[in-house]
Amino acid sequence: MSVQQQGLLATLAREFVKLPGIGQKTAHRLAFHIMKARSEDALRLADAIRDVKAHVTFCVQCRNIAEHELCEICQDPKRDRTKVLVVEEPSTLHAIERSRGFHGLYHVLSGALSPLDGVGPTEIRAHELEQRVKEGGITEVIVATNPTIEGEATAIYLTNVLKPHGVHVSRIAYGIPVGMDIEYADDITLTKSIEGRREL
Amino acid sequence: MPLWKTEAITLHSRRWGEADRIVTLYTLKLGKVRGVARGARRMNSQFGAGLEPFGHVEVTFFEKGQDALVRISQVDVRESFLRLRESLAQMSAAARLVNIVSALSADRDAGTRIFSTLLNGLQSLQDKCDPVLTSMIVQIQILGHTGFRPQTDHCASCNNPYALQAARFCAVSGGLLCRHCEGQSHGQSLPMSPGSVAFIQQARRLPFPAATRLKAVGQIRREVEAAIEAYIMEVIGRQLPAMDFLAAESHPPSYGVANDQRPFPPHPMENNIEVSG
Ligand SMILES: [Zn+2]
Ligand SMILES: [Zn+2]
Repeated sequence: MSVQQQGLLATLAREFVKLPGIGQKTAHRLAFHIMKARSEDALRLADAIRDVKAHVTFCVQCRNIAEHELCEICQDPKRDRTKVLVVEEPSTLHAIERSRGFHGLYHVLSGALSPLDGVGPTEIRAHELEQRVKEGGITEVIVATNPTIEGEATAIYLTNVLKPHGVHVSRIAYGIPVGMDIEYADDITLTKSIEGRREL
Repeated sequence: MPLWKTEAITLHSRRWGEADRIVTLYTLKLGKVRGVARGARRMNSQFGAGLEPFGHVEVTFFEKGQDALVRISQVDVRESFLRLRESLAQMSAAARLVNIVSALSADRDAGTRIFSTLLNGLQSLQDKCDPVLTSMIVQIQILGHTGFRPQTDHCASCNNPYALQAARFCAVSGGLLCRHCEGQSHGQSLPMSPGSVAFIQQARRLPFPAATRLKAVGQIRREVEAAIEAYIMEVIGRQLPAMDFLAAESHPPSYGVANDQRPFPPHPMENNIEVSG
C-alpha cells in the first residue's frame, strides 16, 4: 500500500501524521479509509472537527473544556463550591470525573512548574487560582498535580501562596494501586504511602 | 545489541508518546546517555519511580542498531533523594546541578569525577546544606572536571601570575584579568576580591563533604555567585533557570521567558487579572 507523495490523498495522510500516536502507515490507512467511505460518513467527520473548532473553548473560571463561557461543572448548581481540586491538564480532570469521587469544582493550571526547565508561576494559571481563592467562598483547595518533580514543585508553591488566604490546602495521597501486591510497589511509592497513612 | 549495567543519576525525564518517557542519565560507565523507558508512565510500570530526576539508580539498558536512544530495560533505585522534593530551594538547586552536568558533559564520555561530584552535591542538598552555596561549589568543581576551570592562578590573558591584586573576573576570557589586560579588553568584567578568589580556589580543591563546610557571606557570596553565573552563561551559551526562581513569593517577577515561547497560549482573560504587590 503506498500513496503518492503529491496529490489530495497524500495531503490528507500528511494531516493524519501530525496527530498524536499516528505513524506513516496508519496515516495512509486512514486516508484510504476516508477515500473509500461513503460521502456522508466522511463529511460527518469533517463537520465534527469544524464544530469542535468553532464551539469548544476553555471555561473562563476553571479552564476546563467548555462549550459556553462556563463549563458544565462550573454551571452545575449541585456541585460543592467550597472545594476546588487543582489539576495540571483537563485530561486529569476528566479521569477524576469518571471516578465520581469528587463533587466540588476544579481549577486547571494548564501546566506545572518546572525547576529543571525553568517554567515559572507566570506560565501556569496559578495567579488565577489565587484570585479565585481571594474572591471568597472556597474553604479547601485539593492539589492533585502529578507525583513528579514538576507536580511536587507546583504543590509546594501553591501551598505557600494559598495558605495565607486562610484556606485549607491538601495534597492527594500517594499510594499502592488497588489490586496490586504491596511487595511489588517501588520504594518511593511505599515510603510515600506509609507517610500518607490515615487512622482507621 | 550490547547490554549495559551501570550506576546512573537521572538528569532529566520527559514524557514521550502515550505512556513512555525519554530520560537523560549520567552513567558511571558511559557518561551521558539518553534512553527510552517504554510504559514508564503507566500505573503498573516496572520502572515505578526509578526514573524521576535526581534519582541514583542501577540501570540496565541495551543499544538498538544505530539509534541514538538506548532502550532501558531495568531500574533499581539506590537513593531516590526524595527529601529534596520537600523544599523549592533544595529542588531548584538540585535542578541546577543536573542541568549543569547535562549542559557541560558530552554524550558517552564517562567521567567518574563528574559522577561523584554530582552525587555528593545531591546528597549535601538533601542533608539541608545551604542550597545556593552548595550549588556554587558543585558548579565550580564540575566546570573543572569538564575542562572549563575558571582561571584564578594567573591572568587569563597575559598569564602574569603576579599582577592579580585588584583583578577583575571576565567571563569571556574565562577567568581573572590583571589591571593591564582588563583595561584593554572590551568584554564586561566583574569585581572580585581576594576572598572571592580564595573561595573559588578552595571550592575547586576541597573534596566532599569538606567542601560543604566552606562559608561565603556578604560581598564574597555576591561576587562569586555573579562571576559563576556569568561564566556558565558564557560557556554554555544560554541562561539556565535561576536557582531561586521558584522562591516562595506570591508574585515573583517575571524572569525572562518571552511570551511567544510559552508552552501554552495566554488565556483571553489574562490581561484583566490584576496582579498586586
Ligand atoms: Zn469550569
Ligand atoms: Zn594580564
